[in-house]
Amino acid sequence: MQDPMTLGSSQSSVSTQERHSAADQPLPSTPQASKPLAMTLPAKSKAPNFRRMRRVIAEDAEWTLAIVPLLTELCIQHIVRNFHNNPILKQLLPEHQQKVLSHLSPDLPLAVTANLIDHESYWQRCCMQRWPVCHVAKHGGSWKRMFFERYLESLLKHFIPGTTDPAVILDLLPLCRNYVRRIQVDQFLPPVRLPLPPRTGDQSDSGSEGETEEPVMDHYQLGELVAGLSHLEELDLVYGVKDCGMNFEWNLFLFTYHDCQSLAATIKVCHTLKIFRLTRSRVDDDKARILIRGLLDHPVLEELDLSHNLIGDRGARGAAKLLMHSRLRVLNLANNQIRGPGAQALAHALAHNTSLTSLNLRLNYIEDEGGQAIAHALQTNKCLTTLHLGSNELSEPTATLLSQVFTINTTLTSLNLSCNHIGQDGGKQLLEGILDNKTLLEFDLRLSDIAQESEYLIGQALCANREAARQRVLNPSHFISSITASSLENSMG
Amino acid sequence: MNPSVSLGVLEQNAEEHVSTPILGPSIYSDNPQERIQARRLRIAARLEARRRKSYKQKEESRLKLAKLLLCGTELVTNVQVAVDTREVHRRVEEEEIKRQRIEKLENEVKTSQDKFDEITSKWEEGKQKRIPQDLWEVLNTQQLHCAGLIEDKNKLISELQQELKIKDDQYVKDLKKQSDDICLLLERMEDQVKGMTKSFRQELQHIEVHAGAREGGMEDQVEGLLSSNKKKWERALQAHNDKELEYLINRLKKVEDYEKQLNRQSIWDCEEHNMIKVKLEQDVQILEQQLQQMKAIHQLNREKLEYNFQVLKKRDEENTVIKSQQKRKINRLHDILNNLRSKYARQVKQFQEENQTLASDYRRLVMQFKELQKAKRHFAVTDDEKFQEIWLMNEEEAKALIGRAFDVDKIIHTHHLGLPWTAPDTSLLRNVGPLSQKRQRKSAAQVLEEVLLGAEEEGAEEAVSEAESYLDLPKQISAKTTRKILMLLCDESGFLIESKLMSLLLPLETSECYLLRLDAIFSALGIESEEDLYKLVHFFLKYRAHHLSSSQIAPSDQVNAERLSTVSFMEQTSVVSVPEHLSLTSASEEELAEQTAPEGEAESPVEGEQAERESPPSPKLIHPNDVLKVLEAFVMGLRKPRDARAPRKMRKEERDDSEDSKYWRALTTVIPSSKQNLWDALYTALEKYHLVLTQRAKLLLENESLEKQNTELQQLLRQYLNAQINSELQVPPTQVFRVPTK
Repeated sequence: MQDPMTLGSSQSSVSTQERHSAADQPLPSTPQASKPLAMTLPAKSKAPNFRRMRRVIAEDAEWTLAIVPLLTELCIQHIVRNFHNNPILKQLLPEHQQKVLSHLSPDLPLAVTANLIDHESYWQRCCMQRWPVCHVAKHGGSWKRMFFERYLESLLKHFIPGTTDPAVILDLLPLCRNYVRRIQVDQFLPPVRLPLPPRTGDQSDSGSEGETEEPVMDHYQLGELVAGLSHLEELDLVYGVKDCGMNFEWNLFLFTYHDCQSLAATIKVCHTLKIFRLTRSRVDDDKARILIRGLLDHPVLEELDLSHNLIGDRGARGAAKLLMHSRLRVLNLANNQIRGPGAQALAHALAHNTSLTSLNLRLNYIEDEGGQAIAHALQTNKCLTTLHLGSNELSEPTATLLSQVFTINTTLTSLNLSCNHIGQDGGKQLLEGILDNKTLLEFDLRLSDIAQESEYLIGQALCANREAARQRVLNPSHFISSITASSLENSMG
Repeated sequence: MNPSVSLGVLEQNAEEHVSTPILGPSIYSDNPQERIQARRLRIAARLEARRRKSYKQKEESRLKLAKLLLCGTELVTNVQVAVDTREVHRRVEEEEIKRQRIEKLENEVKTSQDKFDEITSKWEEGKQKRIPQDLWEVLNTQQLHCAGLIEDKNKLISELQQELKIKDDQYVKDLKKQSDDICLLLERMEDQVKGMTKSFRQELQHIEVHAGAREGGMEDQVEGLLSSNKKKWERALQAHNDKELEYLINRLKKVEDYEKQLNRQSIWDCEEHNMIKVKLEQDVQILEQQLQQMKAIHQLNREKLEYNFQVLKKRDEENTVIKSQQKRKINRLHDILNNLRSKYARQVKQFQEENQTLASDYRRLVMQFKELQKAKRHFAVTDDEKFQEIWLMNEEEAKALIGRAFDVDKIIHTHHLGLPWTAPDTSLLRNVGPLSQKRQRKSAAQVLEEVLLGAEEEGAEEAVSEAESYLDLPKQISAKTTRKILMLLCDESGFLIESKLMSLLLPLETSECYLLRLDAIFSALGIESEEDLYKLVHFFLKYRAHHLSSSQIAPSDQVNAERLSTVSFMEQTSVVSVPEHLSLTSASEEELAEQTAPEGEAESPVEGEQAERESPPSPKLIHPNDVLKVLEAFVMGLRKPRDARAPRKMRKEERDDSEDSKYWRALTTVIPSSKQNLWDALYTALEKYHLVLTQRAKLLLENESLEKQNTELQQLLRQYLNAQINSELQVPPTQVFRVPTK
């Protein structure tokens, strides 16, 4: 693109006109109208002479007096066109930067753009182009972070060990290391085995068999990736396969020992990790212990979620040990196979813990044995605010102990005992306990065989507590957060 | 919820703030200031009352909404709780069933173990049984027991499988239920959202109604807030709608696309299906045809095989017969063999004896032969001597005869012809004794020497040497050319000479040097005799001639042509070489003849000169580079005639008889035929002359006799005349004739 000023007047006007129409393509205009004009101008120089005489042509919507665009405009266009080879951005004025960014193609290679462009607008376009639905709020409000997190996620999701080149992910690493804070992968593809052995009969019990038989079912090892990500805070993994349809095999959902060990090593090294979730991955006691061993004395880990796995008492003991040796704030062990002894271990840890605020043991088998132990622990604990013991086959003895807890404990705000067999008497005892308590705001007792009367009364007491809490919140400071909203969230979780 | 709460908070604060001033100034006070104050207060109080009313309403609304919210949440979470409960129940049941199952299995194991033990113990029992009936009974019972055990196990297995099936069904049901639950959950959530918005709106209206009498400012504020919120809401809604529309359009587009794709796919599939169907049908037809064919072939083969089988059977039978025959034959042959063996042994012995006798015979014969040879040699020597003697004798005789002939000739010449007599060539006569192989075959080296040394003297005695060289080189090659060729060869093929020899040669003269070098080269090439050397020279010349002609024709094909030509040429020469040898000997004979007969001398030089004129003027035209090729071809060709020459060497030892006859013939022809003719003519002439002379002599004798008769007659006449009768006769005879007067 030469300097248009040196060209002849008619020539330049034509060329700029064309260029203008080409540049303004996205506008809802009629570029067809200008093109014939441009074509006719040099050809018939005499006939449309009147056109040149007039400064303004009303009939032509495209006609502007600003025939020659500014040099800066041309330069910006040039930069945009050659951005791939020669990315110039930082040296420009902010307004020009904006212009360049607004014209850049979202398809530019990441190697060029990743560390150069920080402007959200560009990354927003990139995201919008790739994914139809984008919840930027889920990614800390940053489009760039969202782009890289989702891009990495999609790569991980479709990574097939042994088939996909690991360089695909590792090449991305230097580009995204500063932006990715969370890895959320709900599918890890197993390595492809071409000759599938005809196994139809033993599909139902191949779970334990597969571990010994198939040592090569390891998934992608996150070690290198996680080590490279300097701001990683959240790791949310599910070792499973989506949409497997009729090709279902237990092996597809196999979280192998090797995977487990490498994952444990990975999270041990990652000192920025705050949230670690490994759900629906058939993690059993041994694997849970390996993972937890990796997490012991972790400097910043705040939330551990191992829900929907196969963790039993030994795993629970490991978790209890972790409670002693970390600053964990949230522990979720919902839908596992923890029984009394495991719960006792957890309770023991809970009694001395000073950091945990939320414990979820929904859908386990802790029964009265564990329930009583936890109740005892709550008598001394001073920080737990949320406890979920739903669906644990608790009954009256636990209820009696808990009613005692209510009188002593002043930190617990939310307790869930739904789907237990507390019974009428237990309900009454709980009611007594509640009446002495001023802090409990949430107490779920649905479907736990309690008399409707006591349930109603408990509800009344809770209402009173809530009111009191509201007053308490309103008095010292305005607008912190609405309790109901938070309670809604808690009850949903 | 939030706005109401915040409003509530505001109101509350305001209330607290307002409620603090308790009845201060009154309206009825005298102080106008106070009155104004009081009135203001009164207005404030009225407002306050109204506000309190609205506050109450708000509070009510808030509580109501909170309750509603709680209920709604509960309603929604109820689903989860219900599912949890169900799960718990399921787990409990499952555990129970599991426990029962395990118990059952354990029981089963125990009972089956017992049964098994029983069976095993019975085995021992059975072992001790001796009576077969008892044993059979025991075995039967054992079998029954075992069958029972297995049946139990099978029953268990089938039960478990049944359970598994039930579980599978239940799983499907659970899945359905779960989806139902999710639907329910979604429905409830939606309901709740709708209900909540509705109730919120209602409550807001209530509050507005109650707060309707409030002062404008507040209302304005509310209005403003409301409108702005509404606007915001509308904008959001608009955006949402737009987006929804966009999504819808996208979705429709996608659906259309997919539909199109589906259609296309289905059409394509249909076509493919049809195609495949047609193809498969065709295949089926073809296969059926093939099947039929195969069947036919099969049938045919079967028949064939059957036939073959029959034939083979027949053959087998025949074979058995033949086999027996053969066996018999073998036996017979064995007998014969034994006989023959004994015969053979006998014959061997016999032949050995015979052999010995024959060997002794042979030895004797050899001795005899040797003696015979000795005798033969002796006889040969004596024959030779005798031959020599006879030869000498004959020769002497011949020479004497020739000498007489010469003498006679001389006499004839001098006496009869009156011509001067010239003595003929007597060289032949000089020979004494039988002719031996005087002319030795010269070796190549000798020829070389001759050629080279001859060439050296060339300048001075050109004419003489020329004559000599022609004698040496009967192949019409001048010594000059030969020399040149040899020099060239010497220069080009120095590699054939050993390096040691080269160093030795350095101090020698050039000619000698050449000589020795060539000697070495020839020994390397395998050239031994004069002929080989000449052949080589000839080869060179011919090659050159050939080369020239071929190069003139097609210089591009030169190399190929060269090869071909040299090879073909070699063949020519090799074929020619044998007759050449023969002619060579005859030629050497001719030389002798020439030497003896100086008349013929003039002819051969003329020929030689002609040949030299024919051959190209200078052999330098042979390019030095070609020399090696020529040599190679030559050496290749030389090997062939070598073999042919071998038998000829054997013959050399025998005496050459052919020359003898020539020699003798030559002796006979010492006197040339012209002279003989002369002699013959002379002889006839002399014969004639002799005849004439003899006739004359005869005539002379006749004459003499006639004279004698005459005289006698005269005497008689006279007598008669003188006799008396005459006188008595009437006519005396004397009167009739006149008496000759003598």
